[in-house]
Amino acid sequence: MRRKVLLRSSWLPYVLIAPAVAVLVALSIYPLIYSITVSLQVGEVWGLGNFTRLASDGFFLTAMAHTFVYAVAALTCEFLLGLGLALLLNNQIRGRGFFRATLLVPMMLPPVVAAVVWRLMLNPNFGAINGTLKQIGIDTESLTWTASPGLAMLSVIAVDVWQWTPFVFLVLLAGLQAIPQEPYEAALIDGSSRWQTFRHVTLPLLKPAILIVLLLRTMDLLRVFDQIFLLTEGGPGFATETISLYIYRTAFRFFDFGYAAAMSFVLLALTNVISVVYIRFLKHESRA
Amino acid sequence: MSRALKYFLVVVALVAALAPVYWMFTISLKSEVDHFALPPPWFNFTPTLEHYFEAFVARSFGQYLITSAIVAVISTLCALVLGTLAAYALARFRLPYDLDRRLSLWILSTRMFPAIVTAVPLFLMMRDLRLLDTKASLIIVYTAFNLPFVVWMMRGFFDEVPRDLEEAALVDGDSRLGALVRVVLPLVAPGLAATAVFCLIVSWNEFLFALVLTQTDASMTLPVGIAGRVTQYEIKWGVMSAAGAVAIVPILVFAMAMQKYLVRGLSLGAVKG
Amino acid sequence: MGIKFQNVTKAFGDTLVVDDLSLEIADGEFVVLLGPSGCGKTTTLRMLAGLETITTGDVYIGGERINDVQTQHRDLAMVFQSYALYPHMTIAENIAYPLRVRKLDKPERTKRVTSVARMLEIESLLDRKPRQLSGGERQRVALARAIVREPRAYLMDEPLSNLDARLRVQMRGELKRLQHQLGTTTIYVTHDQAEAMTLATRVAVMSRGRLQQFDTPLNIYNRPANRFVAEFVGSPSMNFIDGKIESGAFVSESIRIPVTRENADQLTIGIRPEHISVLTEPQNNATPATVYVTELMGNETFVFLSVGTNKLIARAAADFRAELESPVWLRIDAEKAHYFDRQTGLSI
Repeated sequence: MRRKVLLRSSWLPYVLIAPAVAVLVALSIYPLIYSITVSLQVGEVWGLGNFTRLASDGFFLTAMAHTFVYAVAALTCEFLLGLGLALLLNNQIRGRGFFRATLLVPMMLPPVVAAVVWRLMLNPNFGAINGTLKQIGIDTESLTWTASPGLAMLSVIAVDVWQWTPFVFLVLLAGLQAIPQEPYEAALIDGSSRWQTFRHVTLPLLKPAILIVLLLRTMDLLRVFDQIFLLTEGGPGFATETISLYIYRTAFRFFDFGYAAAMSFVLLALTNVISVVYIRFLKHESRA
Repeated sequence: MSRALKYFLVVVALVAALAPVYWMFTISLKSEVDHFALPPPWFNFTPTLEHYFEAFVARSFGQYLITSAIVAVISTLCALVLGTLAAYALARFRLPYDLDRRLSLWILSTRMFPAIVTAVPLFLMMRDLRLLDTKASLIIVYTAFNLPFVVWMMRGFFDEVPRDLEEAALVDGDSRLGALVRVVLPLVAPGLAATAVFCLIVSWNEFLFALVLTQTDASMTLPVGIAGRVTQYEIKWGVMSAAGAVAIVPILVFAMAMQKYLVRGLSLGAVKG
Repeated sequence: MGIKFQNVTKAFGDTLVVDDLSLEIADGEFVVLLGPSGCGKTTTLRMLAGLETITTGDVYIGGERINDVQTQHRDLAMVFQSYALYPHMTIAENIAYPLRVRKLDKPERTKRVTSVARMLEIESLLDRKPRQLSGGERQRVALARAIVREPRAYLMDEPLSNLDARLRVQMRGELKRLQHQLGTTTIYVTHDQAEAMTLATRVAVMSRGRLQQFDTPLNIYNRPANRFVAEFVGSPSMNFIDGKIESGAFVSESIRIPVTRENADQLTIGIRPEHISVLTEPQNNATPATVYVTELMGNETFVFLSVGTNKLIARAAADFRAELESPVWLRIDAEKAHYFDRQTGLSI
C-alpha cells in the first residue's frame, strides 16, 4: 500500500503545482492554440487551405523524406556503434570515470560549436579531413562534403553520429552495468554460448534502456534543426532540408506563418504518434 | 576479445571524439597563414591569441557571452524554484482522479514538442508583446523549456527520500514547511545541483529560440553570435573558433563535475547511471 | 496521559482497515497492540500520531479530543520501524531535532541531549552519522529522540523487528526498564506475541481491524476471549480439535477426554502444548497417538503428534526421545482446556 504523507492540507499541493502549470500552459499550450488559429488562415480567408496545400507541396514531401532518411540512418549508426562500444567496455571498470567524462564532450557541445568544428574539419581546402586524405594520396577534388549535393546528407548524418553516439553508449553502458550477475552465471552453468547469452539474457534485460535511448534519439532526430542549419542551411539547394528547416524557412524567410503553422502540426502529430508507440512498448516492458 | 584490442578501440573512440574539438582549438590559436597550410599542422605551430582578442574585445562576442550567462542563470533559477515545488507536490500528495500521475506525464510530454512547433507562435506572441529582441523573452522561454525536465528529475529524487523521515519530523513537532527545508531539501541537494547544471547547459547551448527571438547584438546569445559569423560571406574561422572554444569551457567544467548524475539526467531518469 | 479511542474507524476507499475500535488506556500504562500484519494496528497508531486521518470516531489524549489537531501539535513521540533517523545530521543533531523545532536554545538542547544519551549509553556516538551505526545503536538513537522531549506518550511501531534475535531479546528488557523509569504512557505495535507478553501491562489483540480482546497478558494467555486470541498468543500455539461433548467426555474420532461439562455440540477444544503429557507406555484414559517429528530445543523438546486426522504439539522434557512413527500415549489435563464455539469462535 503506497503511503503518501498526510493529505490534511488539501489545498497545498495545488498551490505548489499551479505556478509551474501556469507557466507551461502559457508557453506551451497557448502557443499551440494560437498556432492553430494561425494555421487555419490563408491570408484573410479561414479554412483548411494550408493543410490541403501540404499534400501537393513537393518541397514538403521531400523535406519529410529527408527527415526520415536522416533519422533512420543516424539512429542505426548511433545505435549499433553505441551498443558495440558499450558491450566492449562493459568489463573495463578501470578509468570508467575518465572515459565517461571525455566521451561526453561531443554531445555536450553547443550545436553551434559542433557545426563550427565540423565545418572546419570538412572544409575542402584546409580542413583536417581532406588534408589528411591528401596526405595519403587520395584525390579530394570532388570531396566538397557539405557543398556537394551527393555528399551533404552523408556529412550531416556523420556529424550527428559523431555527436550523439556517446550518448547512446553511455546510457546503454549504464543499462548493461545495472544487469545483475546471477542470470549470466545461470546461463553459463546451463551451457549457453556467448551469442545465446547475448540474445536471451543481455538483450531482454537491456530492453528498457534500449527503448528509452531509441525514444529520445528518435524524438531528437525528427526535430533536428540546429546542426543542419549551421552546417549546410538545408543546402546545397534543397539537399539536406529537413522538415524543421523547411518550417523555419517558410516562417522566417517567406513569412508565410499560416502554412508554417500547419506544417508544425503535422510534425507534432507525427512525433506524438511515435512517442506514444514507444511509451507503450516501455510500459509493456516495465510491467513484464 | 583480447584486452589489447579493447584498449585500442577505446583509444580510437577517444581520439575520434576529441580530435575535432582539439582541431577547433588549434584553429583558434593559429595565425591565418597556418590555417591554410598543407599538410595541416596538428601540433607544430606558433600559437597566437589574436583571434581571441578580436572576438571578445574588438567584436561583440564578449557581450554575447554575458548575455548567454545572464539568460542561462536566471532561467535556470526560475525553472528550479517552480519545478521543485511542483515536483515535491507530485511526489508526496495523492490527488483525485489520478491527477498526480497524469500531470507528471503531461508535463513530460511538453518536453517532447519539436522546438519549431512552438517557436513560430512564440515569435508571433513575443512580437505582439513587443518583447522581441530582449533578454526577458529568452529568459521566459528558457524557463518554460527547462521546467518539464526539472519537474521530472526532481520528482524522481524526491521519491527516493523515505516518507518516514518527513513523518518523523512532523511527529517531532516540525511544520510541513520546516520538514521540507530541514529534512528533505538537504537530502535532495545533490540531485538539485545536477538538475541545475543540466538546465544551465541546455540554456547555454540553445540555438533555435535564440535565433528566432533575437535580432540585434543587444540580446543575442553566444550560439547565435557564432552562427552569425558562419552565414556571412566572409568567414573568419579564427574568430569563430575562438568564440567556440570559449563557449565550450563552462560546459566541460560543469559536465566533469556532474558526471555522476549524467546518465540519469540524459535518459530522463529511466536509467540510473 | 490517558488515551481513549471511541468507535474509531478508518477506511481506505471501500476497505475498512480499522473497524469500530474502542479502547481506554490509563496514564503510565504500557499497552501493546498485537496482531498479524494487516490487522490495523499500525494504522491505529498512525491515526493517533496524526499521520492518517480518522474516518469516523473520536480520539482523546488526556481528555482532549485531538481529531483535528495537527500532527506537530499533538506532543507525542514516535519510534518508527525503520527508525527514520535523519541521514544528513549527526546523532546529536538527530536527537536535538525535536528541541530545535521547539526553539529551545543551544545550551539547553545540549544539556538534554547529553543526559538522554547517557541514559541510553550512546554518548560516544554523538558525533557520528546514522550510516556509521549498527542496527542496535540506531534503534537507541531513535529512542533517545523520542525520550528527549518528555512527550505525553510514546508511540512505537515495531521498533525491534529489524534487530537480530539476540539483540531483540536484550532490547526488550531494556525497553521495559526504561518505560518503568520514565513512567510515560506507551503504545507499542507488534506482531510478535512474545514481545507483547513480556512488555505490556495490557495487550489489545486485533484482527482484521477489530479488537479481539483487551486485557493483561496473563489473562489473555489463560482466558482467551476467542479462538483467534487463543491461537495467536503462546508459542508453540494452542492445539485445536473439533468435536462434541457426550456423556462426560469430549469426543472426536479416536480421541476421548473425560471432562466435567454438559453435553454440547459444535465445539472446538483448545489445549496448550504444556498441558499434554507424552507417555511412552499406555495408560488408562490416555489417548493413543503417533510421533510425527520431534524438535530438540535444548531446554525442552517439542513433540509433533498425529492423532487420527489431527496434528498436535506437546511440550516434553529435554531428555524425551522417540522414533518417528512410534506409538505414544497422551494424558491431557482437561481442567486447563478451553472450549470454543465452532461457529463463532467465542470462548464458552
